[in-house]
Amino acid sequence: MNALVDTGLLQAQPSIEHQRARPLLGTLVEIAAVGACPERVQAAIARAFQAVEMVHTLMSYHEAASDISRINCGAFDRPVEVHEHTGRVLAAARQMAEASDGLFDITVASTLTQLGFLPRHAGFPRISGQGNWRHVSLLPDNRVRLERRLRIDVSGIAKGYAVDLAIQVLQDSGMHAGRVNAGGDLRLFGATEQTLHARHPQTPGNLVPLIELCAGAAATSAGYYTQRRHHGRMITPLIHPHTRKACGTTRSVTVLAQDCMSADALTKIVHADAARAATVLARFNARALMLEHDPVTGGCRIFDSDATGHGWHARWGVGCESQQARHV
Amino acid sequence: MNNLDRWLMIPALILPAAASAPAFAVQYLSVEQAQKLLFPGADQFESKPVTLNAAQRSAIESSSGVRVRSTQISAWRVRQGGQASGWFLRDEVYGKHEFITYAVAIGPDGAVQGVEILDYRETHGGEVQNPKWRAQFTGKKAGDPLKLDEDIRNISGATLSCKHVTDGVKRLLATYEAVLK
Repeated sequence: MNALVDTGLLQAQPSIEHQRARPLLGTLVEIAAVGACPERVQAAIARAFQAVEMVHTLMSYHEAASDISRINCGAFDRPVEVHEHTGRVLAAARQMAEASDGLFDITVASTLTQLGFLPRHAGFPRISGQGNWRHVSLLPDNRVRLERRLRIDVSGIAKGYAVDLAIQVLQDSGMHAGRVNAGGDLRLFGATEQTLHARHPQTPGNLVPLIELCAGAAATSAGYYTQRRHHGRMITPLIHPHTRKACGTTRSVTVLAQDCMSADALTKIVHADAARAATVLARFNARALMLEHDPVTGGCRIFDSDATGHGWHARWGVGCESQQARHV
Repeated sequence: MNNLDRWLMIPALILPAAASAPAFAVQYLSVEQAQKLLFPGADQFESKPVTLNAAQRSAIESSSGVRVRSTQISAWRVRQGGQASGWFLRDEVYGKHEFITYAVAIGPDGAVQGVEILDYRETHGGEVQNPKWRAQFTGKKAGDPLKLDEDIRNISGATLSCKHVTDGVKRLLATYEAVLK
């Protein structure tokens, strides 16, 4: 949609908004930007897509030449040198794993492969023995070593990281406002407040207005589009790292955070253990909103990790929690 | 009040079904805009629609591994200063929830130069599977009065796979090899 947009605060100069979408990172990536002239806006969006493409190329589990595939293929035998960006994502993954005592763990890739969510790569060494995030060693100079025969997958947080990079590009290119949405990992900036919608976990075609924000990041994880049948049961690719079992399909978790990479990782922690996630969320100054189907009204129940409402302003107001609770 | 560890006990809100918003639709680019973006230097887009015959259809299906739903191919031959600079193809795919039109740029060497989504639409129900529902969006020009839910722009929803588009691109590459090359 290419239209003249009045951003309200910038009436002295005309503002042009463009938005484009391309298939990347296994999903559709949408980039929108508002700037002073069409050429600059299009150039900024093109540069932002280049950043997303770079992350895709470096961190795809599916592509044999990616940093992640090179780690999975050879980092048990000898350290593998990776790009600085990959190094940053792996460092963030480790930080999340430490903070959550392993509720976030990039080594669940082998379980995802067994369940059919990730492809098997011909020629990769066999996985053997037990291992977890502690056995992924990050060495100086962006070198990575696997202490056990493991597989790692960073698809989720890499998507969040790509969104963060693309937002940085839009800001560096002088855009007044921007939005990047990679299949639910979303971040925006600008002066205008916008409504963030999430999908109803039972009927994902229905959108639920969730919160107003003008800047910040959000990520949602749920099973509704990714679930598949495995031995007669519907399962999701949301794996509990301790039990290595797939989490249930009924909830949707949205995390609001300062950056999209943290938001994406935190959704996995909330799915794995929502009660224990509260302290991790607080540590990252983040907030989780969990949606559950409400069988009584056909609508949905929203659980809020930050029911006292600091930092973020919920669209539907936080003051009504006690009244609403009576409906239960 | 610190109920961090007890946030799961009571919902902060129960949102009735009526509060949920209607289905989502967005138009990103018109065919002309996508042509300009994918072939910035080109000066000629010659429309060359193709109808596949049965043999071509099965050749494309077997080499791409993707089913051919439509035998009508929307193709434009692209030129720059009289020199052939590739093909611009417009196509559509649909899944259980979504209907997507997109464009693929194929260079003179037969490699994909870029993919742009033109339109994206989704529904609550099964309309996507209904050819009549889909037909209302095809062949539409930029600026046509079909605007739905313009205020919904920020959906944080779990990943909708781009598999249909990826398969579509594979099918179009096979189509290029079979009939356009």
